[in-house]
Amino acid sequence: MAILERHQEEVAIQGDELPEILLPTNCPGCGIALQPDELRAHNYVCIECGHHFRLGADVWIPLLADKGSWQERWSDVRSHDLLNWTVPKPYQETVERLLEDGLNEAVRTGTCTLDGKPMWLAAFDFGFVGGTLSIVAGERLARGMEQAASSGTPYVLVTASGGARMQEGVLALMQLAKVNAAVGRLHAAGVPFFSVLTDPTFGGTAASLALLADINIAEPGAAIGFTGPRVIKQATYADLPPGFQSAEFQLAHGQVDLVRSRTELRPLLAHLLEMYS
Amino acid sequence: MSVWEIVELARHPQRPYSLDYIRRLAPDFIELHGDRLSADDPALVGGVGTWHGRTTVFLGHQKGRSVKERVARNWGMMHPEGYRKALRLAHHAAKFGFPIISLIDTPGAYPGAGAEERGIAAAIANAIMEWFRIPVPIVAAVIGEGGSGGALGMGVADRVIMLENSIYSVASPEAAASIVWRDNARKVEAAEQLQLTSREIVAMGVVEEVVPEPKGSASADYDAAARALDEALHRHMRPLLEQASAELLQHRYDRFRYIDSLIQAEPHFGPKID
Repeated sequence: MAILERHQEEVAIQGDELPEILLPTNCPGCGIALQPDELRAHNYVCIECGHHFRLGADVWIPLLADKGSWQERWSDVRSHDLLNWTVPKPYQETVERLLEDGLNEAVRTGTCTLDGKPMWLAAFDFGFVGGTLSIVAGERLARGMEQAASSGTPYVLVTASGGARMQEGVLALMQLAKVNAAVGRLHAAGVPFFSVLTDPTFGGTAASLALLADINIAEPGAAIGFTGPRVIKQATYADLPPGFQSAEFQLAHGQVDLVRSRTELRPLLAHLLEMYS
Repeated sequence: MSVWEIVELARHPQRPYSLDYIRRLAPDFIELHGDRLSADDPALVGGVGTWHGRTTVFLGHQKGRSVKERVARNWGMMHPEGYRKALRLAHHAAKFGFPIISLIDTPGAYPGAGAEERGIAAAIANAIMEWFRIPVPIVAAVIGEGGSGGALGMGVADRVIMLENSIYSVASPEAAASIVWRDNARKVEAAEQLQLTSREIVAMGVVEEVVPEPKGSASADYDAAARALDEALHRHMRPLLEQASAELLQHRYDRFRYIDSLIQAEPHFGPKID
């Protein structure tokens, strides 16, 4: 009973109504003046040009989970400074400030239903140290995938990440192996795994679970790749063409199955969950 | 010795490279080429040789010694084709029950446009996942630079060891400095923060053993360095050869699944098992 009560408390967000997010006054895509309420009702996709605003896990969860169905797991697992990282600022302070801001690590996970169909959901949060894969993020991902594999519950992932977290050193790198081992369990168990790639998805996250799903769905215009454009230019002096590493580029290069607007995502996932059940 | 001096030793142009070790470990080594899809990646050498009386598949990042060879080998930075070649040879090993030795020595996967166009992220991701399904013993050794995902793509093994003056890191010090400070000139500070030396890595429980190098480092005496590496690799490989493949794969899974268990055991980390 104690476990049940704890999970009741963890039902922090319910409903299809999305929370408000910080928005610029004008759309960076087309420049029109933004109407926050209208935009929110449109899943934060610009009505004029289709620009997809970046969302945190706090928006993704109510966007995909049926009202009242979200059961967050392992939200009490906390990261801490294990390398005694002090420059340019102490890692411990960074983490504590973000927790105070209401963010809870770079990945949040739990179970929910989507159109009544049960699934595991894991959402990256770019606002937490650039959505970087950390020990806690890796642990939440691996535990969820292991449980999904053993219960046969479909696994849905939403990515937004700069890669592995520098401040956790080689142990952050090891999370790539930890989560990919768990992805292998999902595949071996015949459990559907759908990945939603949002802007941006790079580095160790792209080189681990993000692109290993049964179906990779990218949001229009999302930047997806291994090495970021700034580093490629530094390393090779190459001129990168417009649209390099965009979702559409990855579609053309065989890395994603579909590029779909966020406004169509929920029905698409509902249909996939139905077909793969 | 300072951390930066260790980084410089790990990258020393006279440091023995994979082929220097492989030819000493298995003098009958035959290099095999190609990913059977489109290309051969010279930044990764692979092949078969007799090692302690047993046919063994060897894989290793290969840096070049001369300027011309460095360019040809792309400084040991693999393209997607290299990871596909590695998996091709891993399946080859699995077919014949050959154990696998993987030698790691790379600044990272190639950060170029062509690698991106041909799916470097997915190639590394897929390699990391597939290593967990290769049902033969694998021992990996970091012999120089273990740089980022490019290294880990060749580093999923039953045991991982490091030469004394090698490094293993989430990103190169230059890349980490560029990410954290937006200034890759801060590489020395970054190297110190990253805890990338063999002693620090073994203390975190990420590798099983640090192999001492001869006096003056591996660069000073290739034969002695190869003997030390050979002894350690064989000592780690021997018990693995006795294990049934299901047990081997379970242990490999657990090795990486709980690789951060030293940290997780700390009181301010959350519940280990729900």
